Amino acid sequence: MGIITILWEKWVEFRRDFYKITLAAMIAPLMYLLVFGMGIQTVSHGVPYLHYLIPGVVSLTTMNGSFNAVAQNLNVQRLYEKAFDQVMVSPTPLWQFMAGQVVAGSLRGLYAGGIILLLVWPIHTGLIFNGFSFLVLFLNGAVFSALGVVVSFLARSHADVPRFSNYLIMPMAFLCNTFFSTDNMPKGIRNVVGVLPLSETSGMVRHIAYGESWDPSGILVLLAYLLLLAAIGLWFVYRKQNL
Amino acid sequence: MIVLKNLTKKFGQFTAVDSVNLEIGTGEFFGLLGLNGAGKTTTISMLSTLLLPTQGEIYIDGELLTRKKTALKRKISVITQEYSMRQDMDMDEIMEYQGRLYYMPKKEIQRKSEELLEFCGLTSARKKTVRKLSGGMKRKLMVCRALLTGPEILLLDEPTAGMDAVSRRQMWDLLKQLNGKNLTILLTTHYMEEAESLCGRVAMMAHGKIEEIDTPRNFIHGLGQFAVDETAGGKTLAHYFSTKEEALAFAAHTDSSIRLRDTTLEDVFVERAKYGGK
Repeated sequence: MGIITILWEKWVEFRRDFYKITLAAMIAPLMYLLVFGMGIQTVSHGVPYLHYLIPGVVSLTTMNGSFNAVAQNLNVQRLYEKAFDQVMVSPTPLWQFMAGQVVAGSLRGLYAGGIILLLVWPIHTGLIFNGFSFLVLFLNGAVFSALGVVVSFLARSHADVPRFSNYLIMPMAFLCNTFFSTDNMPKGIRNVVGVLPLSETSGMVRHIAYGESWDPSGILVLLAYLLLLAAIGLWFVYRKQNL
Repeated sequence: MIVLKNLTKKFGQFTAVDSVNLEIGTGEFFGLLGLNGAGKTTTISMLSTLLLPTQGEIYIDGELLTRKKTALKRKISVITQEYSMRQDMDMDEIMEYQGRLYYMPKKEIQRKSEELLEFCGLTSARKKTVRKLSGGMKRKLMVCRALLTGPEILLLDEPTAGMDAVSRRQMWDLLKQLNGKNLTILLTTHYMEEAESLCGRVAMMAHGKIEEIDTPRNFIHGLGQFAVDETAGGKTLAHYFSTKEEALAFAAHTDSSIRLRDTTLEDVFVERAKYGGK
């Protein structure tokens, strides 16, 4: 299967850059937790703010980890190394290439999120992260990996991916139910931000972490995003005239 | 067999390949020649599905080539003009990645990689990452990678660019051997000596169109088999003749410095370029 080939390729990359990838995944989320969760000690929604923050930071970490693992890398392969040509020419079906990128990106996101969970483990917050949490985080990673594929095909230069990240990924990281609830936003903005994939993910992961009942319809929202972005990605690889 | 029917590629208003019709037989060694920007690389890119045609079709063994036709793509290997490899992989990883993309069993990948890397003299550098290789080594690695999958059709876009003379001759020998085993080869090159030595037929391309197709020998005979280089005032002018006697007679009546030699495909190419085609 072509998916296994892409997973192997990503594994080679991960093995080689293990320390770089691990450190890069840790720095920003750790800063958020130290500064906002432990430095500025406060209470939010009746619980220590750190407890509120952890599910959001883990969610945004999977988003960043997945998006960066795919978008930047594929962009370099396509525009600079031209290594993507090797895939295009080969008999590996391009949908399998796309699926491999999405699965590999999700796993990288999950790895980044897992590191944060390990780092906060000694704090004994009592937060619950179970199979459902990881399913939601995996799906979140899949959505942003698929977005990474699309962005890498849209990019016309190396600078385009960081630019896109600044316009979309960074605002989402701060606004989508991560550092504060979207309920605190003005109604119009709340409606828009509330349906973004990271808002759904943070909401579901936080409810599960608190041991509360959670609405699994958020999973359908994530699946809808995934299908839409995958369809756009497939259009690029099969139909775009000049890749 | 490769058949190009009315193949056209436009980039906005610019037509890079203009209604090209071409048939390349199974086992043929065919050359595409032309100045920079003639449309050679664009044609190869469409054959490798990197670019989709604006108009026209490509047929491989009678079947329409598209990005979805994995069975057809399996028959084709490409050596692109640029180094199209992951810079952070070593040679073994590059070969394994290629083999996996073509669904080759791991043992076969290892066996053929050993053979090819050995043949190209790359074994000692196999653990070096691509970014640490010289230009010539990268070229050789791309050749090894293309041959790993046992293709039926090999598309070569300036495959010996950047190689030293010895490596280039080795490459020619290898390509001749492969062509002898019925491998269909389409070559673009700026080395006319290469095309003359390797290709059974060549097409002269200009402004996206194929102007003429013939054997290198016929092109040379068309210009005149014998050339006399006349050097005067720091400039060299070539004159072409059908027979040696005519060439010698011309040489006897000039006071300039002269050199009698065989006409080459490069002479044909230069003369055509000088006069904008035929």
